[in-house]
Amino acid sequence: MPSWSLKVSATFITLFVLAGSFDYARGHVKNPNAPLQPPVADKPAAASAAPTASAAPSVGPLFTLRPGQRPATITPGPRLTLAPGVVSATLPPISFTHTS
Amino acid sequence: MDPQLAIWIVARATGVAAYIALCLSILSGIALRTSVLDFLAKNRALRSLHDFMTWVWIPLGFGHIAALLLDKTAQITPLDLVVPFQVSYAPVAIGLGTLSLDLVVLITVSSWLRRRMNDRLWRWIHRSSYLVFVTMFVHALMSGTDFSSPLISSVSWSAALGIGLLAASRIVFGRLPE
Repeated sequence: MPSWSLKVSATFITLFVLAGSFDYARGHVKNPNAPLQPPVADKPAAASAAPTASAAPSVGPLFTLRPGQRPATITPGPRLTLAPGVVSATLPPISFTHTS
Repeated sequence: MDPQLAIWIVARATGVAAYIALCLSILSGIALRTSVLDFLAKNRALRSLHDFMTWVWIPLGFGHIAALLLDKTAQITPLDLVVPFQVSYAPVAIGLGTLSLDLVVLITVSSWLRRRMNDRLWRWIHRSSYLVFVTMFVHALMSGTDFSSPLISSVSWSAALGIGLLAASRIVFGRLPE
């Protein structure tokens, strides 16, 4: 038997086993009967600590100005004026939106 | 697919394939010097296969080790690849894998340096291949996630049986001289 045929056969067997075990492992990701069950890493301490209320809750500024930056000034827009013939309806105002 | 999941699957698949490649390497090596199979003693193709299989199992073994190093659940550190029996959760099962890795690296390197080595020393180092197989097999048995699969288990046990039979015949009927 030529040397190359033995090598090709052995390589083919190994690759066949590799593909087969890869396919098996992909189909059986978790094996509850696996002999090794490594301990799961501990959860972070901050996540397990119970939240505590502060004595005087305060809300910080929504944004901060950079040095040298002036606060923006808000100018009121033009008022809406209805035409003389237009009358406002007595229906209740729309207070919800509908999503489907 | 989650990268950690992919790494875990690669670790399992390469572990089984590396085991089979090493079994083929050991089988071809034992067959060369067993008196029962004396007709194979001068078989150059078998000798060539024995040498060639090194280049098949090395990438697979490297893939198995690299994947386990990257797997966060396995918690294997680079030191665990060299020093056996120090992993916190399964020291014996994983330590046997480390031991077989250390020995197989020693055997492979000594084979590459054979011409520069004392022949008697090289032969004793090479005979530790039996120990490599035993430690590797027990490592697979104790820690192999897929060893409970009938198909993978039958392939693994068949390879082990083949090596066991050849090793026993070599002990009973003797080995061929160099």
